[in-house]
Amino acid sequence: MAVLELQGLEKSFGALVATSAVDLTVEPGEIHALIGPNGAGKTTLISQIYGSLAPDRGRILLKGEDITRLAAHQRVRKGIGRSFQITTVLMDFTAADNAAVAVIARQDNAFGMIRPAASDDGLREAAMAVLARVGLAKRGPIKASDLSHGERRLLELGLALAAQPGLLLLDEPMAGTGPEETARMAEIIASLKGEAAILLIEHDMDAVFRLADRITVMVEGAVIATGTPAEISANAAVQEAYLGDLSLEESSSGEDGS
Amino acid sequence: MPGVFLTAIRDGVKQHRLLWLLLGLLGLFPIVTSVADLPFWNDVAMRIMILGMAAMGLNLILGFGGLVSFGHAAFIGLGAYAVGISQFHGIDSGWLHTLIALGLTGVLGLVIGFLSLRTSGLYFIMITLAFAQMLYFFFVSLEGYGGDDGMILDRAEFAPFDLYEPLRLYYLIWVSLALVSLMLMMVIQSRFGLVLQATRSNAGRVEAMGLNPLRFRITGFVLSAMIGGLAGVMFANWQEYASPAIMHWSRSGELLIIIVIGGMGTLAGPLLGAIGFLLLEEFLPEIIGHIAPQYAENWMIIFGPMLVLLVLFVRGGLMGLITSRFRGGG
Repeated sequence: MAVLELQGLEKSFGALVATSAVDLTVEPGEIHALIGPNGAGKTTLISQIYGSLAPDRGRILLKGEDITRLAAHQRVRKGIGRSFQITTVLMDFTAADNAAVAVIARQDNAFGMIRPAASDDGLREAAMAVLARVGLAKRGPIKASDLSHGERRLLELGLALAAQPGLLLLDEPMAGTGPEETARMAEIIASLKGEAAILLIEHDMDAVFRLADRITVMVEGAVIATGTPAEISANAAVQEAYLGDLSLEESSSGEDGS
Repeated sequence: MPGVFLTAIRDGVKQHRLLWLLLGLLGLFPIVTSVADLPFWNDVAMRIMILGMAAMGLNLILGFGGLVSFGHAAFIGLGAYAVGISQFHGIDSGWLHTLIALGLTGVLGLVIGFLSLRTSGLYFIMITLAFAQMLYFFFVSLEGYGGDDGMILDRAEFAPFDLYEPLRLYYLIWVSLALVSLMLMMVIQSRFGLVLQATRSNAGRVEAMGLNPLRFRITGFVLSAMIGGLAGVMFANWQEYASPAIMHWSRSGELLIIIVIGGMGTLAGPLLGAIGFLLLEEFLPEIIGHIAPQYAENWMIIFGPMLVLLVLFVRGGLMGLITSRFRGGG
């Protein structure tokens, strides 16, 4: 069964059709890249899957279960993890404290008011494991605001992974990071294969074609093609609509206005 | 990495020894006043403890939750009226008054929190103020319970203690403050406390971790409302009087000022702020009276600039001042 299935998802903002009858499936263990020119509606689509935007029509199935009406935090509990286009971590918390909150969230006892959290060795070890997973084991005591941008992206990925999601939504995880961190991010994403299915928005085409098992191309809110990287690069419609476009050359163009 | 884990919590309870020291001093204070024959100062100390308690409660949602509630005096008023109205109907037990006050402020905190915590920032400030004003005018309109004039009441019966015996009320307030301090210390150091601080930092990330930020905020709001209610019970017994004036919006502002003076988001800050604020309130008019008697009533003229200077030049209020002193001026 598909991890994620979108059935005829539609979303408009006034006259602007941001998502036009999108059908899409993400299979278990696959890295599924979502590409398209800026404003194609990629982030809008991911926001509907995550639950911060409600679709006008259509259904979202997570492992066969209809989650269209659930709130975002409930979907996270069902197994959706997300990194945002704009890095979303607890900026005035240290990396270790960020990880600790993610561990607490997973453990279902976040309302505990009696025992001091700091003397909980299990919590500390689990938090350190979260950091180690994304190569930040040594950065625990550093405030998130003092980490480099790339490290913050890694931290955010680690926080999403802490919930052990079945589906990861990654919105341009490599945008604005240095080459070394981009490589590290790509390595970690590749290593997630089999652990979580991934829906990846990314402008870095090298990374997309190297990492992705399948690619879906969106233009103006609609899916124009889905297929393996080889099929996509050979697809005439894609060539015309997107790949011929200069934006292919921009490895990490800024905003996806969607 | 021992010692670096959960810095957010460590910062929240930094200098908590100062809080226990202050509590200890307040516990011994009546000895000083009786030796020096200055019983009036017990009264000042009780006021400090009551407002300090309310400010500590408010600080949970304001300093740790990052939400500026501008109607917190309403809960003090509710606590005071729980005493007044219960007594009016023949319920004299202070323990029962306290239970009623905690129940009432808990339920109203839940309702007000549920409705107002859907907003944030300026809207949250305005909606909490609006609820407080509603309650204020509600009690003004209750002619049966004294309306605008309020109701005179007797100190409650906290069996086996007779609050009319010397110092019984003082130590009732002192014990309440100590219990509130211990409870807040526990809550701030707990998982809940850490997540509450996380919602202040970035509610979107807390949601993406699978937690509903609203539930943590509401819980924090209810706790802080109930502490306000307890302070109200003490206030009514201390003043032997309950009136809408207790919940006037300017008192909510006073609580905010106390927190800012003492240090937002620190356990000990609000009590320190209450000491600073109420001592200035006592002393400033007197000092000004000596220098320029015509301005004695307008002590706020001096207090205002002092507050501005404190906010501008000392990050974290008096707590910030003390912390940087301990770190050698850093």
